[in-house]
Amino acid sequence: MPSQPAATVTHPAVFADRTAPVAIGLDVGSTTVKAVVVDPATEQVLWHDYARHHTRQPETVLEFLGRIAAAFPSVEWGRSRVFATGSGAGPIAGPLGARFVQEVNAVALAVEALHPDVRAVVELGGQDAKILIFRENEANGDKQTWASMNDKCASGTGATIDKCFVKAGVPADVAATIRFDPGRLHHVAAKCGVFAETDIVNLVKTGVPGDEILNSLADAIVLQNLSVLTRGNTLLPKILLLGGPHTFLPFLVEAWRLRIPELWAERGVAVPDLPVDQLIFVPDRAELYAAMGAVRYGLHEPGQQGLYRGTDALADYAQQGRKARLAGKAGPPLAHGAGEVARFADRYQVHRFVPPDLPPGSVVRGALGLDGGSTSSKCALVAADGSVLWKEYQLSQGNPIADCKQMLARMREGASRRGWILDIVGFGVTGYAGPVLDQALCADAHVVETVAHMQSAVGTFGRDVDVICDIGGQDIKVLFLKNGDVDHFKLSNQCSAGNGMLLQAMADQFGVPVTEYAQAAFQAELSPEFSYGCAVFLDADRVNFQKEGYAKEEMLAGLALVLPKNVWQYVVQVPRMAELGRTFVLQGGTQHNLAAVKAQVDYICARVPGAVVHVHPHPGEAGAIGAALEVWRRFRRTGETRWVGLDAAIDVAYTSRTDEGTRCHFCPNLCSRTFIDTRTPGGTTARYIAGFSCEKGTVEDEVALKALTRERARLRKAYPNLVEWEAKALFSSRQPPRPMPAAGSPVVVDEVHVDGLLREHRRTVARGFERSDGLAVERRRRFRVGIPRVLNIWSIAPFLRGYLEAAGVERQNVVFSEPTSEEMWAKGGKYGSIDPCFPSKVVQAHIHHLLFDVHPERALDAIWLPAITHVPSPLTGTMDHASCPIVQGAADVARAAFTKERDWFADKGLALVAGAMTFTERFLLKDQLWNAWGDHLGLTRDEHRFACDQAWSALDEFQAERERKGRELLEWAEREDRVVVLLLARPYHSDPGLHHNIPEEFQALGYPVLSSGAIPRDRAWLSRYFRADLTAGLPDVFNINDVWPENYSANSAFKVWCAKFAARHPNVAVLDLSSFKCGHDAPVYATIDKILAATHTPASSLHDLDANKPGGSLGIRVRTYAYTLDRQRERLQDLAHRKRELEERIEAKRAEIAHRLAAERAAVAVAPPVAAPPPAAVGARVALQHLWQRAARLVADRTRPPGG
Amino acid sequence: MADGSNSTIHVPIERLAGRARVQPIEIPSIDPPVERTPAALPELDPAWQARLQAELAAFEADERARLGLPEPSHFKDAVHDRFTAAQRAYTTILVSGLTIAHDALVCAGLRGLGYRVQALDCPDYASLANGKEFGNRGQCNPTYFTVGNLVKFLSKLRDGGMDTRQIIDGYIFLTAGACGPCRFGSYVTEYRKALRDAGFDGFRVALFQQKGGLDQAGEGEVGLVMNGPFFVRILTALMVGDALNALMYRIRPYEIEAGATDRAVALCRADLVQVLETPGRLKELPLALVRVRRRLAAVAVDRTRVKPKVGIIGEFWAMTTEGDGNYRMPAFLESEGAEVDVQLVTAWLLYNLWEVRWDTRRRMGLEGHDGGLWGLKGKGAPGRKIWAMHAADKVLRAVFQSIAHTMGLHGYTLPDMEELARVVQGLYHEEVRGGEGHMEVAKLLLNTRHRKVNLTLSVKPFGCMPSSGVSDGVQTVVQAIHPDALYLPVETTGDGAVNVYSRVQMMLYKARKQAEAEVKAQLDRHGVSGDRARAVIARHPWLGRTLYKAPHGAACAAADLIAQAGKWANWADRVGVWIAAPW
Repeated sequence: MPSQPAATVTHPAVFADRTAPVAIGLDVGSTTVKAVVVDPATEQVLWHDYARHHTRQPETVLEFLGRIAAAFPSVEWGRSRVFATGSGAGPIAGPLGARFVQEVNAVALAVEALHPDVRAVVELGGQDAKILIFRENEANGDKQTWASMNDKCASGTGATIDKCFVKAGVPADVAATIRFDPGRLHHVAAKCGVFAETDIVNLVKTGVPGDEILNSLADAIVLQNLSVLTRGNTLLPKILLLGGPHTFLPFLVEAWRLRIPELWAERGVAVPDLPVDQLIFVPDRAELYAAMGAVRYGLHEPGQQGLYRGTDALADYAQQGRKARLAGKAGPPLAHGAGEVARFADRYQVHRFVPPDLPPGSVVRGALGLDGGSTSSKCALVAADGSVLWKEYQLSQGNPIADCKQMLARMREGASRRGWILDIVGFGVTGYAGPVLDQALCADAHVVETVAHMQSAVGTFGRDVDVICDIGGQDIKVLFLKNGDVDHFKLSNQCSAGNGMLLQAMADQFGVPVTEYAQAAFQAELSPEFSYGCAVFLDADRVNFQKEGYAKEEMLAGLALVLPKNVWQYVVQVPRMAELGRTFVLQGGTQHNLAAVKAQVDYICARVPGAVVHVHPHPGEAGAIGAALEVWRRFRRTGETRWVGLDAAIDVAYTSRTDEGTRCHFCPNLCSRTFIDTRTPGGTTARYIAGFSCEKGTVEDEVALKALTRERARLRKAYPNLVEWEAKALFSSRQPPRPMPAAGSPVVVDEVHVDGLLREHRRTVARGFERSDGLAVERRRRFRVGIPRVLNIWSIAPFLRGYLEAAGVERQNVVFSEPTSEEMWAKGGKYGSIDPCFPSKVVQAHIHHLLFDVHPERALDAIWLPAITHVPSPLTGTMDHASCPIVQGAADVARAAFTKERDWFADKGLALVAGAMTFTERFLLKDQLWNAWGDHLGLTRDEHRFACDQAWSALDEFQAERERKGRELLEWAEREDRVVVLLLARPYHSDPGLHHNIPEEFQALGYPVLSSGAIPRDRAWLSRYFRADLTAGLPDVFNINDVWPENYSANSAFKVWCAKFAARHPNVAVLDLSSFKCGHDAPVYATIDKILAATHTPASSLHDLDANKPGGSLGIRVRTYAYTLDRQRERLQDLAHRKRELEERIEAKRAEIAHRLAAERAAVAVAPPVAAPPPAAVGARVALQHLWQRAARLVADRTRPPGG
Repeated sequence: MADGSNSTIHVPIERLAGRARVQPIEIPSIDPPVERTPAALPELDPAWQARLQAELAAFEADERARLGLPEPSHFKDAVHDRFTAAQRAYTTILVSGLTIAHDALVCAGLRGLGYRVQALDCPDYASLANGKEFGNRGQCNPTYFTVGNLVKFLSKLRDGGMDTRQIIDGYIFLTAGACGPCRFGSYVTEYRKALRDAGFDGFRVALFQQKGGLDQAGEGEVGLVMNGPFFVRILTALMVGDALNALMYRIRPYEIEAGATDRAVALCRADLVQVLETPGRLKELPLALVRVRRRLAAVAVDRTRVKPKVGIIGEFWAMTTEGDGNYRMPAFLESEGAEVDVQLVTAWLLYNLWEVRWDTRRRMGLEGHDGGLWGLKGKGAPGRKIWAMHAADKVLRAVFQSIAHTMGLHGYTLPDMEELARVVQGLYHEEVRGGEGHMEVAKLLLNTRHRKVNLTLSVKPFGCMPSSGVSDGVQTVVQAIHPDALYLPVETTGDGAVNVYSRVQMMLYKARKQAEAEVKAQLDRHGVSGDRARAVIARHPWLGRTLYKAPHGAACAAADLIAQAGKWANWADRVGVWIAAPW
C-alpha cells in the first residue's frame, strides 16, 4: 500500500519482569494487521505493531503473537485476554479464544475515551470509509453515536488511492511531501474508485502533473464524502481523521481542513476560536485506534470473555483448517497439474521479442506507431510488410511526452548499438495520449484505438478474424468484424473499467510481481468464485474471501477466472458466444499474463465449438502496430510525412503549466487548465490545452473565443441540434397567455358532492365566472416561484409555466433553476443523504441553487417541486404511464434533505409546494393543482380551471412546435440522404449537465441531432414507417406490446418506441444514453439492442453516465461511431440510388401490367361469356407466368457475356 | 473537443470539421413533398386490381432481391404463457419466491386442487450467477436471484437428460406480477430474455395479474382456474405460513435445546402440507393448527435471556427470502444473539387493499371521472368499491387472527394501514408508489414511537429504487425527529457479505445495550432484582410458557416478561396470600 509504510516502528521494550496478565487488541483489516498490548489496570498501551499481511492473515497474527510472547516472557497468559476487530477478525477470533468486537464500535470507544470533545470521526480504511458522529441526546444528556459507512459504490478508500498513485506515477514517499493547493484542481469523479481511476488516466495522459492529480483526487474524495457519506449531516468541530490515508497523506488532511470550514460557514455553525488544525486533526497512533478500542470494549464486558487460549488452534487453522472449510464451496482451479500448464504455455505463451538480425549499416525502414494507453505507453517500428522491427514498452511515468521521448531515445540507442540506419517514414498515434502527441509531434495519423486494434489483428491473422478482444489496463474493447472491417464493437463502460489494472493491483497487494502472477495462480488447487462486474465490487469480494481464508494463489486464480465473465457476460452481453464467429484474437497487455489467457481460452472454447483462439504475438503493442500500419497506408498514397522526425521528437522540450494564468475565465466554471507547450529543436512550437470542461476552454483570448463562437453558430445552423433547442425552449415563456375571462362571464361547471355513505351527487350549473379581488390579483402578479429544472419537469415545464402565467404570475417571476453544471453540483451536492442516480441526486443541487443563489438575488415566495407520478405519453395499450419511483419520490427526499437539521425553506421565508401531479388524469391533476396552489395564489375555482386549461394549451403548443422541427429535420435527411443522430434517452437527459454535451460532439462532426420528443406523432406520417407492422396486426403505431409488454414505465416505454421508430427510419442513427443506477432503463437494454440490431440501425450506447463526463472512453466511442456513421451515410446514398431505381421499375411495371390486364379484360368482354376464373386459378396462372419469366431471365443472365 | 476527453488542441473546431470531411450545408426550407403525378392508367375493377397487385408484389420481391433491398425484418418478443385445461394433466406448475414455509404450503394448497406443482429451492448464489449470466446488466437482486433460480432448475433438468422440448411442454412457472413502478415490475421481461438466452425459448411464464386472472391466451378452458376455492387455499396457505414463521422467530432465539424449534417447525410444516394437499381434508385444518400449537408449546424456552429485537423491513423480496438473497440475514441475526421480527405476507395483502381503497377515495368528488388504468370512468360506483375493500380488510384480519390464535400466536397485531398512512403525512406522499411505498418510513416511525423493536434493519437490493432511492432519504428525517431510533439500511448485492455483517454487528451492539437498559429499567421500576424476577417466573410456569406473550411495554421480550414478573412479585408482597416466599 503506497499510502502507508510497510510497518510502523515496533515498540522496542521488552517487559521481562511483567507477570500480571495483559490484554491484547488485534485489528485484522483488509490489508494490514495492527496489534496493541494494554495493561488492563491502567489501559496504558505497552506494545504495538503494524504490518501488511498479504492475505496471510492467520500467519501474520501468529507472527505478531510470537513477538508479543517474546516481549512479555513472564506474563501469566492463562489470565490474559484477547479482543479482535476488523474485517478479517472473524475466523481468527475463535481459535484464539478472542472476543470479536465490531470495528466501528471499537473505534468509537477509543475516541470517546481519548478525545471526549470530538464530535465527529472520519476514517478511511483500505476498503471502507466510515463517519461517526457523536450526538448528545437533549432529553437525557446521553452521548449517542451515529455511524455511516460507504455504500458498495464508493471511492475514497485506501485501495482506490493506492491504485491512483500507481496511475499518476507518484511514489509513496513523494506523495507524503505534497501540499494541498486548491488553485490547481481538476475534475475527478470520486463517486466510485473505477470512475476516479478513469478520470485520473485522462489527466495523466493530458500531461497534468502528478501533484495536481493527487490534490484533485483528495479534493474529490473529501467532497464526495461530505456529500454522500455524511448523509447530509454536518460534521461539527472537533473532527478526528483516522485511517492510513489520513496518517500518511498530509494533502488529504489539508483538503478536509479547507472544505469542512466552508460548510460550517454556509450552514452557520458556531466554531470554537481555535486554529483549524486543532479543530480537524489526525491523532498520534491513529492506525491503532480500532485495536485499542477493541481492548477497551472487551475490558468493560462482564465475565471472562476473550481469555487467551494460545496459538495452537490458530496455527492448526492456518495449516489445515481453512482448506478443509473451503473445499465444499470453492470453485475449480485454473489448471489441473503442471502438464496442462506446460502444454498450454507451449501453445499460447507470448514469446520474448527478438529484433530482426540485420547487419550493421543496414537501412531499416519502418513506420513508427505509438499507443499512449491508460497505464502504459507502447511504441513499435513496423516494416512495410507488417513485421515488427523494434518495440518499446514502459509503464506510464506521468507525462505522455516524457514517456514518448524516453521510449524513442531507447529505440534510437538500440538501433545505434546495432549499427542500423533508421529510415522512419512517418509517425502515428493512438490511445489516451493520442491528442497531445499528435499536436506536439505532428503525427501523420491519429487513429482511434478500435481501428488501430482492428488493423493490427487483421494485418497479423488475416481477414477471417471474427472477434478481437483487447484488454488494457483500463478499458476492455471487443470488436466484431465482418470481411476484415469493424462491424460493431463493445466497450467497457464506466462500471466495467479497470479490469487489467485490477489484476496488477491485486498482485501488488499480495506482494506478487505481476510477471509471476500466472505462475502463482496456476499453483492454486481451488479458487474463490468472484461475482463479476465492477472492479470495486471485485475488491470487496476479495476482502470477503480473505476472511474466509483463501490463500493469495487461490485469489489470483479466482480473479483470472472472473475476467472472461466480465468481458463476455458484462461488457459484451452475449450468452451464446457461438453466434459471434469462430476466430478470436486476444490482444492487450493483459495477455502477457498466461493465467488470464488460460481463463479466456477455456471460457471461449467451452462455448464456441471449433473455436480458434489466437493471442497476438505483440499483445501489448497491437495498438501501436495498428497506428504504424495506418502510417504506411497513408505514406504509400502520399509519400509524405509531417512529423518532426526522430531526433526532434527525442529532443522536444516541453513545459507544463497550471496556474492563475492558465485558468479559463470564459464561463463561471473557471476551469483550472494545464498548458503544455512543446518546442522542437527546429523551432516549431505547439500548445496543448488540457483540463477544461467545455469548449470555451480550448481558446486563450477573446478574439479566439469570438471565432469559436462564430464557428459554433455556423455549426448550429448547419446541423441543428434539437436537444439543445428544447433545453432552452422548454423553459422559456411563449405566447402571452389568454386573458382571464371577466367576472360574470358565463361558465358551465360540474359540481359534485360525496355524502357520508360515499355516494357521489353531481349537477351541472351555469353561472357567472368568479374572479378574485384586486388585492389577490396584485399579489399573484408579484408572486415569485422557483422551479428546479430537474427530472420529469423536463417533460412538462411548459405546463407549469403556462399554469402560473395564466393564473396571473408575471412571466419573469416564474424562475427555473439553471441547467445542471459542475459548479452547481459542487455547491449544492452536500445535502443529500442517499446515493441514487445522478439525475435524481442533482435535485438537491437545484434546490440549493434556488435557495442560496436565486432567492438572495430577488426573493422567491415559493419553490415548486411536484412529485410527478405519471407523465404524458403518446403510447397506447401500455400497462401504465408511471414515472420511476425515485423520480416520484425525489420531492420527498429533497424536502427531507433541506429540513433535516434545519428547515431551510422556513429560514428563507418561502414555501415549498410539493404536491403530487398525475398527468394521465386531467380531473385528478386539476384537483392536485388546486390543493397545491389554490391558497398560495388566492385563486377562485374558476380562475384555477382557466389556468389549468391554459397550461394544457401551452404544453400542446410546445409539443407541436417541437414535432414540426423534428419533422423538418427528418424529411430533410430523407431528401438529402443524410444521417440524423437520435438521442435515445429520458427527457431529462436533454440537460447538458446530464448528457455532458455528448450530442454536441456529434453536431460538431456534422450530424444533426434529433431529440426523442421531437419525433413527429402524426399517425398518418408515422404509418409510412409502420406500414408492415400495421398490416401484420399491430393495433396502433404507438403500440409496443409486440416488443415489450411489461411497459409500466412511461419513459422506458417511450424509449423503446423511439428505438422502434429508429429501426424503421433509414436515416436515423441512435445515441443511447442512460444514467448509472437507472433501474428503469436496465430492463430494456436488451430489448433496445435487439430492435436496433434486427435492422442494423447504427447505434452507440453510453450507459452508466454519472456526474462526471466519461472523457477517455467517450472519445473512443465518438470517433469509432463517427466512422460507422460515415459508412452509414455512404450506404444511404447507395440505397437511395437503388430505391429510386426500384420505384421507377415498379411504376413502369405497374403501367405495363395495367395495360396488359386492361387488354385482357377487353378481350374477355368481347369473347363469348365464360365463367370467371376462380381466384385460386388466377393466382396459379400468375405464379406460372412469374416462374416462366424468372426462368427466362435466369437463362438470359447465364448466357450474357461478362460485363455485357 | 478533439477526442471527447477534457483536452484538446489549440484550434480544434476547424480540425474537427476537417476530420469529419463534411461540407457545411444549409437545411433548405421544407417544401411539401413533391407529389409525382402518375401516368394515367386504365381503370380496373377489384378482381383485376388484385391480379395487378399480386403480379406487382412478385415483381417487387424479385427486384428487391436483385437490388439488395430486402424488406427489413423487425424484432418481436414473443410471450409464452398459454396454459390450457388439456395440458393440466402433464404440466407441472413451478412456484417460488416466498419463504420456505409459504412456498411449501402454497404448493400443497394447489395440489389439493388437483394440480401438479413443485416448489423451487430457495434461491442461492448459484441462482444469482445464472441470473447475472443470462439477464440484462443493472437488474436488481430479486430479479437476478429469482430468474436465475428458474434457469438453474431447468438447466439441471436438461443436464439430467430431459429433452428441452419436454421441459418446455411439461413445466410452467407461476409467479405474482410485480407492482409496476420499480424495475421489478419488468422482471417478466428478464424471464423471457434469460430463458431465451439459456436455450429455453418458448418456456411459459404465467402471471397473476392485477387484471384479475392468469394471462392464459389460447383456446379451450384455462389451465389454472382462479375461482373461489383457489383463492381460499392460496390465502389460507399464506396466512398459515405467516403465523408459522412468526411463531418460529418468536421461539427459536429463546429455545433451551438448540435445534428444538426447527425440528418442531419441520414437523408442523409437514403436517400442514399433508392436510392442504389432500383433497377433502381442508376442513381438518383447525385440528392441524391445534397440533401445531401443541408441538411448538413443547419447545422449552428461557425468555429471561436479554436479546435485542430486530425488526426487518425493506424491499419485499429481500426482506422475505431466507437464503443468500439477503445473506441469510434472519439466521445471522439470531446467531448474533438477536430476536427477529419479520414482516408478514398478510400485511402486504392489506397494503394492496388499502391502495385500492385510497386511490378510489382520492378520485371521488372530482369534477369528472378520468379514464385509464386508475381513473374511475366506467368502473361502477366507487363508494361500493371502497366498502368492499373495507370489508375485505376486516375479513382478512379476522381470519388471520383466528388462525394465529389457534396456532398459539398471541398478541400479534397486523399493521393498521390507515395509521401507517397517517403517520407519514408531511414526509412521504401517499400517491408516490413503488415497492413498499410509504410503509417503510411509517414502520420505522411506529417501531420507534411504540418501542416495537430495538433495531430496525431495512434490507433491500443494491440500488433498490423505492427503498434505497426514496425511503432511505426520508428516513433521515425520522432519525432527526427520533435521535434514539436505531436504524440500519443495508443493500444486498450477493457479494461483500463481510461488510454487511460488520455493519449489522455494529448496530446490534447498540441494540443490545438498549435492550439491557430496557430490562434494567423494568427491574428498577418494579424494585426487583434479576434473580428474584427469574424466581417468580420459575414459581409461576405460565410466565415461562413457550407461547406466553407478556403485555407489550418494551421492545425486547425479556423486559416485558420481567415487567410482568416484577408486577407479580410486588403483588405477592402486598397480598402475601398463597404465594409463599421462598425468595
